[in-house]
Amino acid sequence: MQALSVVGPGTGPLLDPLAARLDGRVATVRRDESAAPDTAAGPADAAFDLSPDGGWRASGTDDSFDALLDRLAPEYDYALVAGFSRLRLPTVVVGDREVAGDVLERVDDAAELDADALAARLDDAEPHVTLETLVDRVTASPEADRAGAIATFTGRVRAKDSPDDDRTTHLAFEKYEGVAADRMARIERELTDREGVLEVEMAHRVGIVPDGEDIVFVVVLAGHRREAFRAVEDGIDRLKAEVPIFKKETTTDEEFWVHDRA
Amino acid sequence: MRWKLFADLAEAAGGRELAVDADGADTVGEALDALLDAHPALAARVLDEEGELRPHVNLLRNGEDVHETEGLATPVDADDELALFPPVSGG
Repeated sequence: MQALSVVGPGTGPLLDPLAARLDGRVATVRRDESAAPDTAAGPADAAFDLSPDGGWRASGTDDSFDALLDRLAPEYDYALVAGFSRLRLPTVVVGDREVAGDVLERVDDAAELDADALAARLDDAEPHVTLETLVDRVTASPEADRAGAIATFTGRVRAKDSPDDDRTTHLAFEKYEGVAADRMARIERELTDREGVLEVEMAHRVGIVPDGEDIVFVVVLAGHRREAFRAVEDGIDRLKAEVPIFKKETTTDEEFWVHDRA
Repeated sequence: MRWKLFADLAEAAGGRELAVDADGADTVGEALDALLDAHPALAARVLDEEGELRPHVNLLRNGEDVHETEGLATPVDADDELALFPPVSGG
């Protein structure tokens, strides 16, 4: 899923024209100051209204923005978000507001933004991928009838290696675009060539990843569990050894490139 | 010559993408000399005491590791993309 955040005066009305220009399933998320979300679902934590033709509306109180984005990721090709400045997403800003995500474009007036140009740039932005996105992708395989196993690995940011360590607050990853994708594709291809391994999907996040959050996923669809486990282990080992991705660690005390301490 | 640098090497050179004037360079080694002349702070990080490229430093020409081709003698063209980076540390 490609996600885009727009922030600043006059950006809310951009979502619909932008959605109309995108090819695929699009979700829009708007900040709603008027609703009283703590009562919208009544006594339940979430309420879903589903019409006979499949139309639906949901309300609830128990979703963080990150959880919502993860929930949308396997189902939608695009998420367009307006009105939240603290998201670590590719962001278009009107005005001088500071934002947490990478700034794709900054203008003084929303009228300067061109929906066609934004739609084209959105496809180049880093996609938001979750474990479930990859599991859905491998189970859609034409060979899924022969698969008796899905094995997955999730790498996440470890706050501490031993109990009295300084806490790691976040990691920052950078990637050699193009070459990293080629090398990951090669690893996926070579693992898929093994007997009994049907599909392999890997994804690695870039930018800032806070402690406790996911960094990397390896997902294998295989005939049987043993080849699935082996391919997952070899996949993550090879990714760590061969793919040009670099991490800088920030603890409560210091900041350092991880390869300098290896 | 276009160079891409990563991690601490980009910090030492003050940029991730550099254009270095190396018109006369026929090999990766000559292109590297031109890069290090233009950005001397990089030299200490990528060369050992004998002036050789440190073994853990990766040098790629158009995505291909020069350790797997002819090393610093690998020929270069003016429109090649060269990349220099430390040991990878993903995951």
